Amino acid sequence: MSHYLAKRTARVLFTVYLVATFTFGMIRLLPGGPLTTLRVKLARQGMDPDQINAYIENYQNIRPDATLLEQYQSYMLSVAGGDLGRSISLDEPVTNILAEAVPWTVFVVVVSTVLMFAFAVLFGAMMAYWEGSRFDQALTGVSILSASVPFYVLALLLVYFLGYQYQVLPTGGTTGLAVEKELSVPFVMSALEHAILPVASFTITGMGVQALAMRGNSIQVLGEDYVRVARLRGLADRRIATRYVGRNAILPMYTGFLLLLGFNLGGTIILERIFSYPGLGFYMFKALKARDYPLMMGTFLVITVALVVGAYVADLTYSKVDPRISSGGSNEAY
Amino acid sequence: MTASHSSTATSAVDASDTILELRNASVTYDDGESYVLDDVSIDIERNEIIGIVGESGSGKSMLASALLDAIPDPGLLSGEVSYYPEGGERVDVLDLDGASLKELRWEEVSMVFQGAMSSFNPTMKVRGHFEETLDAHDADRTAGMARARELLEDLYLDPQRVLDSYPHELSGGMQQRALIALSLVLEPDVLVMDEPTAALDLLMQRSILVLLEKLQEKYDLTMVFITHDLPLVASLADRLAVMYAFELVEVGPTEEILGHASHPYTRALLNATPNLDAPLEEMEAIEGSSPAPVNVPEGCSFRPRCPLADESCRVDAPEHSTVVDDHSVACHHWEDSAGEIPLNYAPDGGTSADVDADGGTPDGMDADGSRGGGER
Repeated sequence: MSHYLAKRTARVLFTVYLVATFTFGMIRLLPGGPLTTLRVKLARQGMDPDQINAYIENYQNIRPDATLLEQYQSYMLSVAGGDLGRSISLDEPVTNILAEAVPWTVFVVVVSTVLMFAFAVLFGAMMAYWEGSRFDQALTGVSILSASVPFYVLALLLVYFLGYQYQVLPTGGTTGLAVEKELSVPFVMSALEHAILPVASFTITGMGVQALAMRGNSIQVLGEDYVRVARLRGLADRRIATRYVGRNAILPMYTGFLLLLGFNLGGTIILERIFSYPGLGFYMFKALKARDYPLMMGTFLVITVALVVGAYVADLTYSKVDPRISSGGSNEAY
Repeated sequence: MTASHSSTATSAVDASDTILELRNASVTYDDGESYVLDDVSIDIERNEIIGIVGESGSGKSMLASALLDAIPDPGLLSGEVSYYPEGGERVDVLDLDGASLKELRWEEVSMVFQGAMSSFNPTMKVRGHFEETLDAHDADRTAGMARARELLEDLYLDPQRVLDSYPHELSGGMQQRALIALSLVLEPDVLVMDEPTAALDLLMQRSILVLLEKLQEKYDLTMVFITHDLPLVASLADRLAVMYAFELVEVGPTEEILGHASHPYTRALLNATPNLDAPLEEMEAIEGSSPAPVNVPEGCSFRPRCPLADESCRVDAPEHSTVVDDHSVACHHWEDSAGEIPLNYAPDGGTSADVDADGGTPDGMDADGSRGGGER
């Protein structure tokens, strides 16, 4: 077990290292760069081309454009030391920006994913229990519809109707402008109010697939012999529903839940852009537009590390949740 | 077959002390279109071991479920099922409400299902199964768990180890024995077992049979043992009931059935059973196949495969007629069957066939000639 733990942990670190390397390399493959952006900016300001060239050259002299290998080495070393560099466009340490943004994103992603699974388990179990009924048919239809609508389409509809047309919910920001950023009732209320639409977009569109999965699992478990034996043994329906059907139907969804947390983190790039929600994805989009390498890599790194850690946690805890799986090499999420 | 049960039945059985009574029990699916149990009547005597034998899909499991009013949906059970508690009033099982039915099941009549491997919740320890069963029936946990440990020991299991295991950590034979212990934890009077040994190897089948015999003596159990394995149950059961096409075709004491089987199907079944004492070329398969619930033949359901069949078999479904004492058979031509279908393992009417020669020894398997030799 401890051998497995060490092996699995080493693999996480190696994956993170690879991810950092790839992000570094791939972002430098993107056309353009901070200096190109600067050149365009200066040209728009009406500066003379000769002057611009001199300026850029000057800029390069002050911070000579090192070779890719040198950049890579210094980047990896500082990342290992927890320093993600300084954002070029925002002129602030990347770690500061992330510290400000990550909690909001984590809040939205965790709440929406948890809600998604909670509703999916509930509806899925109900559909299975009344399998074939009108209720089941209707909800199956709704689930398929929900699964086929991309979250950003729903997000746009929500922000357009509820935000701009009817103005019942805010269209942007994490809290109201007038609210002090401290732990108080108005702050929490405002934060919740601002999170409703982003959370709803994720939850509603993700629920369908999970509810159908839960429905299928439950129907399968309901047909198992041990459920029939439990009924004959006189166990209460409630216990059979939770301990027998519920538990055995939810188990296969556990890994999916942790992985989805990571995937949804990636989805925030579009989601937070739509709702002008200054979280991780919001800054990542900004960084992409501004060719802000340090910020871009910082946000990328956080998202991929979250995904890798999600799979890691799923692997390590699955044996605790499902006694049939012993921790070992062959039952990994990835 | 409700005829008086003579005292020639196995000594342990009190002649007329019925504990479970099935009258005209039928199970239908598809709004009465197909019968999976067709008008079955049988008395189960207190403290006997009765073997119900039949091939796959002959309605054996339905008979077992009917005894507990536990037919899987959407099947419909009709007829009468009565339970007679010791010194108590008759209980109409099909008339019980939820709470009393819950009390009857497991506290009075318990059941071991086919496939122990799938009868335990895979995500719960064996201990949990015992505890929740005791709780569900408001039984005392301490006393109940003490009894569970004793039962597990009776079944040659290490109670501590088994209780603290998850089902998948036990072997098939251990799971089967743990399931038997679980079914006896509330001290039922009747234990219905549906193919309890089907998934086990021969050695484990043999040891479970020995254990069942011991349990039956120790706890004064009535056992209903349902199987497709005629030689297996013959070594254990006091009486045998043979099922064909959702009906009981022959019922009688084990020695009677083995030595003087009267139904053509029973005789053919005996001849189709592998037997070390009979040369292989004498082993005969039964021609044709048993009917599906949707197209059971008119008249006698065995008619299409029966060498004795004639016009009367096509027109009338045979009633049960008494052969001797409590040996009854549902066949128009049972008197001719012995002449028409000679048994291949022993001369009919001769000294009792060695199949039942020592049916009562604790080492039950020895009773069955077909299984000797090869195992030791």
